[in-house]
Amino acid sequence: MDLVRYTLRRVFLSAFVVVGVTFLVFVVAQVVPSDPAALYAGPRPTAEQIAKARVTLDLDAPLPQRFVSFATAMGTGDFGVSYKSRRLISQDLRVYLPATLELAIFSTFLALLLGIPAGVIAAARRGSWLDRIGSLGSILSVAMPTFFFAMLLQLVFSQWLGILPLAGRLSQQISISDPLPFLTGFNLIDAVTAARPAVFLDALAHLILPALTLAAYPAGIAMRLTRAAMIEILARRHIVAARALGLSAPRILFGHALPNAVGPALTVIGLSFAYALTGAVLVEIIFAWPGLGRYVSEAILSKDFPVIAAATLVVTLCYVMMNLVIDLTQTLVDPRVALT
Amino acid sequence: MNRRDILKSAALSAIAASVPLAVPRWSIALAQEGSPIFTLAHPAGFPDLDPATSFSNDGAVLANVYEGLTRYIPGKDDQPATLAPVLATGWETSVDGLTWTFKLREGVKFHDGTDLTAEAVKGSIERTIKIAGGAAFIWSPVTAITAPDPTTVVFTLSSPQPLDVIAASGFAAWIISPAAMDKDNAWFNAGNDAGSGPFKIDRYEPGQRAILTRVADYWGGALEGAFDTVVFEIVEDAVLDQNMIEGGQADWTYGLPYENLDALKANPDLSVVVNPSFETLFGMYNTKKAPLDRPKVRQALSLAFPYDDVISAGTSGLGSRAKGVIPSGIWGHDTDAPVPNTDLEAAKALLAEEGLTDGNLELVMTYATSDTLEATAGELWKANLAQLGINLILQPMAWEAQWELAKSDPAATQDIFVMYWWPTYVTPYDYLFNLFHSEEAPAYNLGYYSNPDYDKLIDDAAALSGTDRTKAEAMFKEAQRMVIADNAAVFILDKPNIHIMRADVKGYQDNPAYGHVVFVNELSR
Repeated sequence: MDLVRYTLRRVFLSAFVVVGVTFLVFVVAQVVPSDPAALYAGPRPTAEQIAKARVTLDLDAPLPQRFVSFATAMGTGDFGVSYKSRRLISQDLRVYLPATLELAIFSTFLALLLGIPAGVIAAARRGSWLDRIGSLGSILSVAMPTFFFAMLLQLVFSQWLGILPLAGRLSQQISISDPLPFLTGFNLIDAVTAARPAVFLDALAHLILPALTLAAYPAGIAMRLTRAAMIEILARRHIVAARALGLSAPRILFGHALPNAVGPALTVIGLSFAYALTGAVLVEIIFAWPGLGRYVSEAILSKDFPVIAAATLVVTLCYVMMNLVIDLTQTLVDPRVALT
Repeated sequence: MNRRDILKSAALSAIAASVPLAVPRWSIALAQEGSPIFTLAHPAGFPDLDPATSFSNDGAVLANVYEGLTRYIPGKDDQPATLAPVLATGWETSVDGLTWTFKLREGVKFHDGTDLTAEAVKGSIERTIKIAGGAAFIWSPVTAITAPDPTTVVFTLSSPQPLDVIAASGFAAWIISPAAMDKDNAWFNAGNDAGSGPFKIDRYEPGQRAILTRVADYWGGALEGAFDTVVFEIVEDAVLDQNMIEGGQADWTYGLPYENLDALKANPDLSVVVNPSFETLFGMYNTKKAPLDRPKVRQALSLAFPYDDVISAGTSGLGSRAKGVIPSGIWGHDTDAPVPNTDLEAAKALLAEEGLTDGNLELVMTYATSDTLEATAGELWKANLAQLGINLILQPMAWEAQWELAKSDPAATQDIFVMYWWPTYVTPYDYLFNLFHSEEAPAYNLGYYSNPDYDKLIDDAAALSGTDRTKAEAMFKEAQRMVIADNAAVFILDKPNIHIMRADVKGYQDNPAYGHVVFVNELSR
């Protein structure tokens, strides 16, 4: 019961965040100097074309009225039309959002799978060569600039070894000979529903390098946090008791110690997921990944406010939801975290 | 060895075995020898695939899918520029230049199977005019289009204009199938097409790639070794573009950093094609604001401009000195135009003459944020001007903001507006009218130059350009010399077009009238 009440309260509070963000974006759009009509009219518009665009976009309507139509468009998920491309934003998001989510989710899992066990092992073998290698790896993965790590991976795995593709989401041959039908926009899911194992593997191969690049930072931090927390927990009496009872080492480490130690690492990984939604521009550009980050950074450069607003809203929603999921996971993993 | 060890080593050897198997899969060069696929690593996306409103990089796709009535073939050395017949086989104009009659090619079919008719041409251009987006303004002199018979189209104009050149425009001049006349922008941008060109759009994945496939019964036929598939891979990262062309995953690209070109030229698998473009870089002086309202001050600034340094530092020496605003390859280009050369002493003397020697003159130059060539030009000029006691303030801005500022009150805007110009359709009038013709409300004449004699001269020349091109050309040259004499702008450089291709691709010729367009049907491997 507590859980339901807690969730409802969080959702309710989140609604305020979303409305506030929408309002802020609108205000910023009014303050920043730019001419949406000139943007909408195309690269080299005539005065008549700009005047016509002003009418089409209803730019001369009073401000409150424009806010209402803006908020309605955002609220209904319609999002309106991009000033720059004149395409429906909802239609663009259907392509770019799944691409980004697929990458972000996959990299989050990678970060979890790499960072947390590495932290556990480093703590269990504290001071050993495993611990040292792990620490060095985590420092490297945190300290190395994203773009450099991305290019390093491309160089090694695709240009030298040739075992992974350089960039893109799917191989050209698949798009040419037998394209994957668009269903969810998540290539992995679409490949499964279309019963195309070869395409699934192809999509997976394309995911690995960009996801690894994105996962490096959160995995490194998660490893450090888990290691530190584990070292502290492993010295506690209940672990000593578990040892005395003769429980196996993996069971002690992963069953009894880790749930007490994993909290901070989960938080970091959750936050980095939200960051990856729009903050992964560099990774998306280097791997030619048609994601939200690229879409928004282009919109920002040309001050395409409907796109910025729509993306801000979508990311805010994802962020708020992710936070909720992390908090709930924390309470499940560690009952000491109270639902307040 | 216990059971666990056996399992471990089995798993490890399975992984090890799968690695070499996987190798050939990704190292396959897609652009390998004999492949019928032509892949373009395209550094920009395609914002609008509607042939009526497209006015951007999308021309690269559309030019392979759609056709216009004519095509502009640039002049070379002493050869004058010509117009090649495409959907029109012949055309003529009345003596007054107000009526243009085009004869259409017979046996042309659109991709949906319908025949090319005069009605289709009339309908396409009327659709473009009606939607009035993109470059539709090129048709503004047209008052009526008629189709007296299925292979004849007659245009009536309000003023004499070179309609054969206008019809060759890379934007807003595509002819579409009658079946698509009522289709909207969204239909085209979903990857549908209605063209008559050698390729049709097979698949469009926004932000990622566009795939075109060859049309079986194209009227122009196919070369031996022609490509049957064209893939545009949208790859914004120049490093990745270069990786792809070097690794053979792409056949053609552009936009790589100038400093990498030497290495690319040395690669026997690649050919680097350098060609002048129709894009010219210049800075317009604010002629309505002190102190640049004085011609001699403007002249001093132009004399202080480091032309050669900008060409070598900004374009690795590949750009060419601008002779006014009309680049070479376009009729009206003036090889002997009296443009100033860098001469700091002369500049100093002129400034002294104008009493500007106190050393606290500040000038603001605006340019586009992301443009490194413009930034380089600004920095080098700033260094020269500093020696003359002038502080040039470089102000990078988003293009829309830069333009918005320039369109406000001239007395309060920038001192120097730096930008590129390229022609929507290829005539000197496009440059000379847009940039220097008097304007009541500034649109592109952002130095606010106003000279009634000049206006009359280019308007008269434009009226003649459909009927007496030789005379018109002489008049355009004279007009451009007026602008040069008045120092209305600093003419920086004509940008080079640099395209990198795989060496085994045959038949490539860059046509600067269609910026970064590859007519793939003319290529073979």
